[in-house]
Amino acid sequence: MTASATTKVRLDEPYHRPLLIEGAEDLASVTNRVCGVVERPKPPRAWYIAITISGSMTLMLGAMVVYLISTGVGVWGNNAPAFWGWDIVNFVFWVGIAHAGTLISAILFLLRQKWRTSINRAAEAMTLFAVCCAGMYPAVHVGRIWVAYWLFPVPNQMQMWPNFRSPLLWDVFAVSTYATVSALFWFMGLVPDLATLRDRATTKLKRVLYGFFALGWRGSARHWQRFERAYLLLAALATPLVLSVHSVVSFDFAVSQVSGWHTTIFPPYFVAGAIFSGFAMVVTVMVPARELFGLKELVTLRHLENMNKVILATGSMVGLAYATEFFIAWYGGNPYERFTFVNRAFGPYAWAYWIMIFCNVVVPQFFWSKRIRTNLWLMVVVAILVNVGMWFERFVIIVTSLARTYLPSSWGYFKPTWVDVCTFAGTIGLFFTLFLLFCRFLPMVAIAEVKTVLPAAHAHKENGHE
Amino acid sequence: MNVFPRWMNALRVLAGASVLAAGVYVVALFAYGGSPKTINAGFSPEQPVPFSHALHAGELGLDCRYCHTTVEIAARAAIPPTETCMNCHLRIRTQSELLKPVFDSWASGEPVHWKRVHDLPDYVYFDHSAHVTRGVGCVTCHGRIDTMERVRQEQPLSMGWCLDCHRNPAPNLRPPEFATAMDWQPERPAAEVGAEIMQQRHLKPSTDCSTCHR
Amino acid sequence: MSSLIREPSDVSRRRFLQVMGASMALASASGCHWETEEILPFQRRPEGRVPGTTRRFATSIECSGVAASLLVTSYDGRPIKIEGNPLHPLDRGAASARSQAAILDLYDPDHSRGLVQAFEGASYPRSWKEFDPWFAGHMAQVRARKGAGLRILSEPSSSLALASLRTRLAELHPQARWVEWEPCARTNEIAGSKLAFGRALRVQPRIEQVNTLVCLDADLFGLHPAALANARAFAARRRPEEAQPLRLWVVESSLSLTGAAADQRLALRDEQILPFLLALEARLAGGKAADGLFLESLADELLAQRGAALIAVGPRQPAAVHALAHRINANLGNTGKTLLYSEESDPAGVMELGELAREMEAGAVETLVVLGGNPVYDAPCELEFRRALRHVPLALHLSHYRDETSRACTWHLPRAHALESWGDCASWDGTRCLQQPLIDPIFPRRTPLELLGAICEAKLGAPELVRACVAPGASDEQWKKILHDGFVEGSAARPVEAALASFSVPAPAPRALAKELRNGELELVFAPDRNLYDGRSANNSWLQETPDAITKMTWGNAAIFAAETAAALGVEDSTLVKLKLGTRELEVAATVLPGQAPGSITLHLGHGRSAAGLVGGLEQENIETVGFDAYRLRSSDALDRALSLEVMPTGKSRQLARTTDPAVTDSIGRKQMEGLVEELARVRTLADFRKEPGSERESEHESLWNKPVAEGVRWGMAIDLNSCIGCNACALACQAENNVPVVGREQVIRGREMSWIRIDRYFTGPERSPRVRFQPLTCQHCESAPCEEVCPVAATMHSAEGLNDMVYNRCIGTRYCANNCPFKVRRFNYFNYHKAIEAEGAEVQRMLYNPEVTIRHRGVMEKCTFCVQRIQAAKIHAKNEGRAPADGEIVTACQQTCPTQAIVFGDLADPKSRVARLHAESRGYAMLAELNIGPRTTYLEKLVNPHPALEEHDG
Repeated sequence: MTASATTKVRLDEPYHRPLLIEGAEDLASVTNRVCGVVERPKPPRAWYIAITISGSMTLMLGAMVVYLISTGVGVWGNNAPAFWGWDIVNFVFWVGIAHAGTLISAILFLLRQKWRTSINRAAEAMTLFAVCCAGMYPAVHVGRIWVAYWLFPVPNQMQMWPNFRSPLLWDVFAVSTYATVSALFWFMGLVPDLATLRDRATTKLKRVLYGFFALGWRGSARHWQRFERAYLLLAALATPLVLSVHSVVSFDFAVSQVSGWHTTIFPPYFVAGAIFSGFAMVVTVMVPARELFGLKELVTLRHLENMNKVILATGSMVGLAYATEFFIAWYGGNPYERFTFVNRAFGPYAWAYWIMIFCNVVVPQFFWSKRIRTNLWLMVVVAILVNVGMWFERFVIIVTSLARTYLPSSWGYFKPTWVDVCTFAGTIGLFFTLFLLFCRFLPMVAIAEVKTVLPAAHAHKENGHE
Repeated sequence: MNVFPRWMNALRVLAGASVLAAGVYVVALFAYGGSPKTINAGFSPEQPVPFSHALHAGELGLDCRYCHTTVEIAARAAIPPTETCMNCHLRIRTQSELLKPVFDSWASGEPVHWKRVHDLPDYVYFDHSAHVTRGVGCVTCHGRIDTMERVRQEQPLSMGWCLDCHRNPAPNLRPPEFATAMDWQPERPAAEVGAEIMQQRHLKPSTDCSTCHR
Repeated sequence: MSSLIREPSDVSRRRFLQVMGASMALASASGCHWETEEILPFQRRPEGRVPGTTRRFATSIECSGVAASLLVTSYDGRPIKIEGNPLHPLDRGAASARSQAAILDLYDPDHSRGLVQAFEGASYPRSWKEFDPWFAGHMAQVRARKGAGLRILSEPSSSLALASLRTRLAELHPQARWVEWEPCARTNEIAGSKLAFGRALRVQPRIEQVNTLVCLDADLFGLHPAALANARAFAARRRPEEAQPLRLWVVESSLSLTGAAADQRLALRDEQILPFLLALEARLAGGKAADGLFLESLADELLAQRGAALIAVGPRQPAAVHALAHRINANLGNTGKTLLYSEESDPAGVMELGELAREMEAGAVETLVVLGGNPVYDAPCELEFRRALRHVPLALHLSHYRDETSRACTWHLPRAHALESWGDCASWDGTRCLQQPLIDPIFPRRTPLELLGAICEAKLGAPELVRACVAPGASDEQWKKILHDGFVEGSAARPVEAALASFSVPAPAPRALAKELRNGELELVFAPDRNLYDGRSANNSWLQETPDAITKMTWGNAAIFAAETAAALGVEDSTLVKLKLGTRELEVAATVLPGQAPGSITLHLGHGRSAAGLVGGLEQENIETVGFDAYRLRSSDALDRALSLEVMPTGKSRQLARTTDPAVTDSIGRKQMEGLVEELARVRTLADFRKEPGSERESEHESLWNKPVAEGVRWGMAIDLNSCIGCNACALACQAENNVPVVGREQVIRGREMSWIRIDRYFTGPERSPRVRFQPLTCQHCESAPCEEVCPVAATMHSAEGLNDMVYNRCIGTRYCANNCPFKVRRFNYFNYHKAIEAEGAEVQRMLYNPEVTIRHRGVMEKCTFCVQRIQAAKIHAKNEGRAPADGEIVTACQQTCPTQAIVFGDLADPKSRVARLHAESRGYAMLAELNIGPRTTYLEKLVNPHPALEEHDG
């Protein structure tokens, strides 16, 4: 029977869990299928169209950054009292996206969630690209980027050190650590597959390039044994980071005394939100990708559904967090904080607030219905809405809190400029450009890992894995 | 088919070592090459008039304050006006080619264009009077001017260098009356002498930012 | 001269490069020594000159014929700051915002630098060399004709030197006529005193003697020529320890600074003030109970306070009102106690501008010499002065700027700035003030004295003439003293006896309240702008960007409507409306303001200049005019107010550049604001205070950070809200002292103004009679400052003496500190706001800057430093003398100039210091103390003294 049909039957019988990999896949066909994407002489036309668009957006980003640095932060809408605007909103937004990858690869790995195998590679890649976009903002948003290196504890003739009390400094370390570890983790996973590509390479150039990065992998038992151990260790190392990064990011706000920022629930609230947005982004990207590169059998509906379940769960957590904030604002009885929250929901920025509530709290609830969370179109719509909602969450937290702080005399209203908009669009372009290049030149699915969940890998058991 | 031939295994250690070495080298290069000691100390520009402190302050033994009159009362130890030179040079070396710029200035009223040797960044507010009257000798920052044919920057004049003294001034203090004495030597260990002076004059140099930056 | 520019410009170049030092550090990392600087010593150093130190000289500036006595700081020979003259009996060290801003004009690139001759439509640059011989020849001919066809148009001036030249002119050119024009003159006052006493007299208020002060449209603390002295005396009489604190009653059409300080205020149409005063007089004369509780209680109090009351009338009111006030004051026995009279110069024999205009039209004027002023811009519109000028074959305009008039005349002659001039003038009390140059004219400019001297072949040069007039026969010693003091001691005018003449004032037909709001029945009031005055300061970017004390508007004006008027006419805030007076129309922005009289619309003069310069607008170079030109509606028969105004909304919207955005239209915001204001800017009635003196204070909380150890000096500030009248003098002082940049209209709208001290203004209570609260806000230098904790690079740190140091050259501009500052006093350089002075050929502009303060480059945060440069200077100076700075030896710029002494700075660790004692006062409270940040600034509650019967009137 055809793949779709199988899916149907299987899904209808909850007690009978479907296969992770569908179709008549065997060890060889998996390799062929994944490597095929990279080795085919020409990618589909859609790829060319996509990369043209995203590529030009990336160029625009470059232009914007040059303009910004040569002219001053004033080209953005930031003002007084909103000294931070879209710059930090987008930073937090992208860092959030960056969470799914490591979570899937590390935590789910430790939890022995085998279904991760088909999506972790792409998710990790996404993480890295999101971190690139995120990392750019704190760098360029400072007034004098040419002395930004003072953020790092470099010995100098001034005998000056950074101020270790500042959450911003913690941020520098947290994000850079996270970026490093995720990169390592991703690359290490790639090594065996790169070796495969090397061995199948048809041209000398490919052979040398893939070969160089395969670090001389020969697939000997010793290699595998060390690989597994290292992978486990890295996973263990990466797991706390998943939680720490966004906790630290949330400190930027929680540690300050701006009412609406100064909130103890920020760390868990931010982490949940991050995972929420991260998974949404994975879904947004994977659905078209698997269509485009014919990986339906490897990345099955079940994978997507599982991710949608996570989205549903984390979405509800975020909703809870919103409710808690409001409750505490009322219960705490701090007039300034109380005002901040009333102002969020009914003040000049109410529109942003209600968009956020709708996208982050209401929309994910549709995933209670199996029909919706297993329908490709609908899940993409929901995922995209969630991404929008999560952007607005950061906007609401940062801008509405700053716009009206303690002294009414200094209240204001933040309006973005065209540069703000183009810069953000540019980062989206950068993100997709990198992802498209990744799809084209690297194995999108962890071949070696997927093989471990094939029936063939457990010949003695009847279709029994997990 | 591995792209790395087997013999490369031998190179692994070497590779690691050289990467390490490279790191060390770069750090060292910047640490040394970037330090004010290397860059600023020793700066000694050509002056329009080859005025010799060695001659005037050294051999002739003019006191610093004969020319730099404002050093005890103002932030700047003012470069003397042409008039000061002319006090003597109306009679001495009146035909000297070397002194032409001075004579021209005297004739035209236009200033002599001296080159600044000891040049702090413009956001640093240094006050000579605050140091000289507390007993920081000229020598401490400017070196043995009285031996210099052409003035040269002795010290790095870097922020760290300033702070070293602000944190522990004792070794660099002397009785203020000897502030301008180039060859003054304490008969007891400098730190002791300095400590006493700090005692008597309640000196506790500040390391606040606004002491030097406004 | 060359050295005058060269030497300092070398210095200021160093200064504006400063923050780039960080990038220099980078450059040096690449191994090169940064650009070598040159030192240019004098050829012969002037006596007593110490390079790199400041010296101060006393001089004065004249405005509308009244002197402001000044003490000007000069650094290496270039004036950099204007302060009030501490010796002067009236100013006592204070200086108005406008006097202080004058320093900017001196270096303004638009400030005229050469002569221009207009010839057949084209204009040609000329030099004095070309002008002088030609002009001498021409004047010889004029003289031959006994000055027939020669007219001199001048601003009113109190200068004796000028007067002496004028008499000489009369001898030399008997047929010549002298004309005076001033858009905001005191004509009504003089006419009033003539009506009451038959002679021109000037009122000298003695506020220290007053218990009940009644201001009828009289802005005693704002636009009054002696405002500084009045405000100081007022503040002194408001201290709670005063046995009988002064009560201020104000009746006016639009909120003035005086109205904002009032205990009882009545918003009344301008034209209603005469009937009001008539009713009051009738009531005082024992007439039957007049209408209105306000008038009732006022009358009672006036009767109770015979001899201790003062009724003051503003210059806008017609002669009758002034005369009535004189009579009432006399009858109440106030004259001689709460006010004295002194001789006022009587402009009799002076030709009216209208008459001149007609002569010009008739072609009877051959030579017109315009000494200052700008009639083409500010003359009554129906005179069509520009057109009239076309009929004058030779019109010379001596002015600071090549303004509207200059461009309509055949010659523009550059006029020297007050700081470049010799001259003399008299302050309001008649004290003779000296005007002496601090610097040679930077460009060949001349003073009216010099030009007039040339016209009437004066024998003496300006300096000698001034000396001869100011101190005839004074010995060199006495002259030295005058030069030092800046004025002639004891030269104040003697009070004169004023015998009341009998006169009667017909009561105008009463107007029904209902009609007030009807289109065509509205009244338009022309008021001089609080910053730009009559428009002469329109090219001064400091004043343009200083928010108006009441409207908080910068860069422009707007017609001010009362809420109910606006509602009745369908006018909205920040929209364009068309004002129609007869055939004349003008499109202006509209704003709605509390405390405005219904049916009365106020429009500030001095805006909408078409040839002010690169700042104020210059049509020829397509530089947008700023604001709207009220003079286009102002005619001779309605110089002060026009009735029968029509208002037509256009539907077009116009964004107003306000620093405090009043658009808190949403109910939540407004509710929160009203709640907070009570906490932040505290106001109580004197009665309450006497019952319960203590104001609630926040107790110390535990802190996460260990607070700085309280040993040694602890700098702190105290600001008395009870004294502050919101006059903006401190703002300008700070701007000049700390090189605070101007950012322009667009940036202000974006909320990026840079002022280090801002005056928050809140309205509370009813729309008609709001309680106005002013609150000057500087950096509070918190004990545990939120900004310090979050800066990642330690660019803002706490000093041992408790200053919150901001280190520009360390700042990388994350802006986190500003987010975390609950007072929002930190300012960020979003752009390089000092670009102008980096340009080539900007040497003159650079001369303005205070070299003791780093100029902040793009991308760094800045804020109030408690004038740390002054602190350091004083400390070093004191220690060099082997002592500690005494209390009051260190004075911040804002404190120095505050006319009411509302700001006090000093050492909190010294219990005897003034600031420490104020901190201990029961009225004291710290803002947002509940945040446990320990602000070093303590505010003292404002105490109002409303009339018991009217108390429920205000919120």
